[in-house]
Amino acid sequence: MSDRLEVALSLRVPGFDLDVAWSAGGGVAVLFGPSGAGKTLTLQCLAGLITPNAGRIVVDGRVLFDSASGVNVPAQARRVGYVFQGYALFPHLTVAQNVGFGLRDLPPARRAQKTAAVLEQLGLGDLDRRYPRELSGGQRQRVALGRALAIDPALLLLDEPLSALDAPLRRALRDELRAVLSTVGTAAVLVTHDFTEAYRLGDRIVVYDAGRVVQSAPRSELLWQPASESVARIMGIRNVLRGTVVKASPDRIQIRWRGHLLEAVNSPSRSYLPAADSPIAFFIRPEYVRLIRKDRGEADPAHHMNLMDGVVVGEEDFGTTWSLRIRLTAPGVPAQGDHDLEVEVPHLVYEILEIERDRRWQFSIHRGSIHVLPA
Amino acid sequence: MTAETTSALLLSIRVAVLATLLNGLVGVPLAYILARRRFRGRGLVDLVTTLPLVLPPTVTGYYLIVLLGRRGWLGASLYHATGWSIAFTWYAAVVAATIMALPLLVRTAKAAFESVDRDLERAAYTLGRSEWRTALEVTLPLARNGILAGIVLAFARALGEFGATLMLAGNIPGKTATAPLAIYTAVQTGEDAVALLLVGMLTALSCLVIFAANRLGARAT
Repeated sequence: MSDRLEVALSLRVPGFDLDVAWSAGGGVAVLFGPSGAGKTLTLQCLAGLITPNAGRIVVDGRVLFDSASGVNVPAQARRVGYVFQGYALFPHLTVAQNVGFGLRDLPPARRAQKTAAVLEQLGLGDLDRRYPRELSGGQRQRVALGRALAIDPALLLLDEPLSALDAPLRRALRDELRAVLSTVGTAAVLVTHDFTEAYRLGDRIVVYDAGRVVQSAPRSELLWQPASESVARIMGIRNVLRGTVVKASPDRIQIRWRGHLLEAVNSPSRSYLPAADSPIAFFIRPEYVRLIRKDRGEADPAHHMNLMDGVVVGEEDFGTTWSLRIRLTAPGVPAQGDHDLEVEVPHLVYEILEIERDRRWQFSIHRGSIHVLPA
Repeated sequence: MTAETTSALLLSIRVAVLATLLNGLVGVPLAYILARRRFRGRGLVDLVTTLPLVLPPTVTGYYLIVLLGRRGWLGASLYHATGWSIAFTWYAAVVAATIMALPLLVRTAKAAFESVDRDLERAAYTLGRSEWRTALEVTLPLARNGILAGIVLAFARALGEFGATLMLAGNIPGKTATAPLAIYTAVQTGEDAVALLLVGMLTALSCLVIFAANRLGARAT
């Protein structure tokens, strides 16, 4: 698939340097990263609201900006739809006037027709005479989206489009937004600092940190193969740990960690061969740690890989799951403050195994669930 | 009511209305530029517009004489070319009132422009509007209440102007003596009834202005 969107930007503003390059093949590209990483600045450069010091922006073969050849299409002529954080609806205009704002060049009849069609598409048909202050958060989000889509944009930009909403509504609108974006088919760039949102909405995820791109990958690749320890931490992955390499081969890596010898699968797509005794980072997803049931006899080391003993030192109820903090039965300082591992178990398992009463457990981690992070 | 008190009141209102109009024409665009543009000398423009608010009015009046008097920087060439000087005419009262009222309007309107969310303007740009059209269709309507409040304040200031007017326009009965100057003269010459009448009328007018400003303020929130 050829790239529909090519972005290379270099921008210097007081106290901040943005230097990024990435491309996307259509669908939704999500810019993901902590606040202040330069995500919104990137959107403003794409929209032509800020002129970068150098770089190149190409959308579907149309050059919007190229410092080398002196091209800089003004914001007014870019045909880029922008959904602002907080929506930026014109408070003195009705819903219909907001949506029709970008259609001034059309004859009035065409303009009204187009506005009505967009309102209909987004389920806002009967709100056309309302003012933004009279709308709910979800309705405002739709009006902002409609206003940006009404101009038939070549590129759609969305800055934290769901952050102003409360949790249940956010989930519903996330799925609705995903449906609208795939129906419209316009190339879109969406900014978020919520990984679930990035994963649900993005086809490609571009990870930003401090004005740089630290990884750009299709979403599933990013989920299982973060490019580095820092990407894993930005993604909010839990149990990011550090050990020492014992032995590395193209398909296995042995790691010494907290007095245990862990065996992990070396990723076949990017096998990584660090020298023995070098430090190594890896992560273990909390929901992939197995508790060994005591009513089924002794654990079998041949069957249960990476077997460890530990004590539950703390727990948190997340509604449908319990998150347990486990401290291993091993000398030395725990890896993560008061504990070594975070383990997630469904409520049902927590109740059946009576974890509230019984604190001492054996754990096993399949070698495929220990993910090595390249240095 | 004597002919002189009537003429003083009418002159005051005429001067204040004209000064307010000039303020609107000059002050609103100036406030927009100060709020939204970054240019060299912006700080200086801001300082010069604000100065009459802080300086004693007679000092501002003195500068106006230096600038516009018969031998002033601008006034001299005007006098040379036309044989006419603005000093000691009722136009001078308008100029003095305009300059004295300008900082009140500019500061209020500038704050009103600054309070308009920049994302609204950015949204308008991405939807095809030029900066000029955006200012007219988005920024100005949203800053409207603040601007109107500034205009009310400017009118009140222009109506009460004394010191700078006295310096540049003098206190010529029936010609440049506005109501505040006429009150001063009446008190000095012992015409208590005239003074009281003018004081009463200016007080009533001021109450009206405060009432109007409060209503605008209430609508803005």
